[in-house]
Amino acid sequence: MSTIEQNPVRTTPAPTGGRAPSGAMRTAWAIVAKREILAKIFDKSFLVGTVLTVAVIAGFMVVSAFMEDRTKTYDLVASGADVSFARTLASEVTAVDDKVIVDVRSADSAQAARALVLDDDADVWLHKVGDDWTLTAATEVPDGLQAAASTVVRQSTIATNAQSAGTSVAAIEKGATLKASILKGNADKQGFAKVMGFVLAFLFYMASLTFGMQLAGSVVEEKASRIVEIIATKIPVRQLLIGKILGNTALAVGQMVVYTGIGLIGLSFTQYKSYLPSVSAGIVWFLVFFLLGFLVIACAWAVAGALASRTEDLQQTAMPLTMLMMAMWFAVFLAKGAVLTVLSFVPPFSAILMPIRILDGSAAWWEPVVALLLLIALAGVIVRGAERLYRRSLLQTSGKLSIKQAWSAPE
Amino acid sequence: MPHGPPNVVVMIEIQGLTRRFGDLTAVDDVSFAVHDGHMTGFVGGNGAGKTTTMRMTMGLLGVDAGRVLWNGAPITAANRQRTGYMPEERGLYPKQKIVDQLVYLGELSGMSASDAKAAIMDHLERFGLADRANDRVEKLSLGNQQRVQIIAALMTRPEALILDEPFSGLDPTAVDSMADLLREHTSRGIPVLFSSHQLDLVERLCDHLVVLAKGRVVADGTVAQLRNRGPQRYRLVLGSDAGWVRDVPGVHTVDVDGATAVLELTGETPGADQILLRDALSRGEVKEFARIIAPLSEIYREVTA
Repeated sequence: MSTIEQNPVRTTPAPTGGRAPSGAMRTAWAIVAKREILAKIFDKSFLVGTVLTVAVIAGFMVVSAFMEDRTKTYDLVASGADVSFARTLASEVTAVDDKVIVDVRSADSAQAARALVLDDDADVWLHKVGDDWTLTAATEVPDGLQAAASTVVRQSTIATNAQSAGTSVAAIEKGATLKASILKGNADKQGFAKVMGFVLAFLFYMASLTFGMQLAGSVVEEKASRIVEIIATKIPVRQLLIGKILGNTALAVGQMVVYTGIGLIGLSFTQYKSYLPSVSAGIVWFLVFFLLGFLVIACAWAVAGALASRTEDLQQTAMPLTMLMMAMWFAVFLAKGAVLTVLSFVPPFSAILMPIRILDGSAAWWEPVVALLLLIALAGVIVRGAERLYRRSLLQTSGKLSIKQAWSAPE
Repeated sequence: MPHGPPNVVVMIEIQGLTRRFGDLTAVDDVSFAVHDGHMTGFVGGNGAGKTTTMRMTMGLLGVDAGRVLWNGAPITAANRQRTGYMPEERGLYPKQKIVDQLVYLGELSGMSASDAKAAIMDHLERFGLADRANDRVEKLSLGNQQRVQIIAALMTRPEALILDEPFSGLDPTAVDSMADLLREHTSRGIPVLFSSHQLDLVERLCDHLVVLAKGRVVADGTVAQLRNRGPQRYRLVLGSDAGWVRDVPGVHTVDVDGATAVLELTGETPGADQILLRDALSRGEVKEFARIIAPLSEIYREVTA
């Protein structure tokens, strides 16, 4: 037994074909990134979390599409001469609201009709009180039915009254309508873009917090378990940092693409599908800003991890970063007008505010480009600074370090 | 200072390494060599600077002065990548499967995943852990975690081994199989440097010994060379009182107790031991005349005192 290769107890020979020559070194950061990704996607809590979120998004979409499309059939009862108007109502109400269908039942008397409603055998009873048509329900007249039915009643009554006055509905209504119009785009569309912006900003916020915490946690784990000492003798610390950041960024962006993809597919089944083409460019910009913004923030998270020695320290070393994330999230709601415009250029705020401005249509074509360049510049600075802090604090294992201590620590 | 037998390639040579932490000079002008195919024991008390020296050798800590040579040239990152290193404080990813993280470390050392896996299974087999390959590290006992850590250092068929306290926490059986494993590596010609507090183990295993105290090298050589450093001590047991030995020239009498004397040859008179022995035989019975082989622990106490 002089060497390992000749060891007689070897039971697992290396596979014959496709054996890479030993020492064939792939880029170290790619190996690190691969481990970060594989370790995560086979992690139960990550899988469960992702699947649950997808289920919630899909479920929300399905429910809202279902609610939107659901037609409701109401049993309406009338007696005597009212039945014929009830039939008119039933035939016209669906034209007013396509989600309302009315089935008419005739009762022998008003008392019988009333009894049917009380016994829940009918939803509403249509009858006249004085000159007015009345819908009577046991406890509550359904909103959708009441709105649609009152329109039908009004139209049909006006038509009857106009006829008896020797004129027509058109003549009476001429010039009596007020139409609303806006000069910029479409009000619904703008509301939709605004909601979309909030949703995407929220996704960014959540992803930056969860994946950031996770990245910082995995840096601390390596420090606390001291495996980083072995890794640092194998590959340059810069490669380790790059691998960890890229691995986690790939996970975060991948998850984001899945979530927005499912959201968009879901939206295409709803009435908002006509707005999708107008926001798709904004969503692409969002993903670009997300990618760069996350890279910047991930560097900072890696440093927060490196400054801690144990997982318990992480809360404190990550504090400035959690505050920054909160500030970014609040800016989404609070920043208006000029403040919003300025902040949308300031990295890392730009990562979240510029896509919102693109979505609501207030950004000229050059503005995202400038914001992106500024973000890239900050990314460059942060990556370099993070590398120095990371390298110098990685092997310091006594308690937590301040940024200043780490910056000036000897290697 | 002696530097091992002649005609041995010096693989790792540490020259004048110095490291200060604030006012404390943790490692002070430390120089020694680790020869190919030799097991070198690195001995010293707590805080003597062993770990700091090893970390500087592995490039984990910057040096304030000095350098590390690998086959005569300054050590490179590639050399370090091919060195099996076991840090003082152990650790692996607690929540990852044993085989997965060893494959990861193998890949970082430049192995292909399949080569790494074969080597890992081979080593796990030797330690009787093959059936635990897919367990998480945190499920293993501390001793078994230590074994996995050793595998991480050895599986890459490294070109050198630098191991910080590889035997701590191992039971006697595991110490033996670990010792066998290390000997396999020295017998294929690579240098092995390991630190230990267990002097009997160092004495048993090491071809070469470096003793550190307060950041300085206080002894460096083979165990025999260290024994020969100071004056040689002999025990003389006679049939009658041994008090007369005090007057023999070239002999320093350490202690006389009845018929037994403990002596040192001062070296002033050549052949003093033979003169002494003839003298003793002429005076009567000589029951014993033997060199006292000091245990390493005694030598250690002397050099670090």
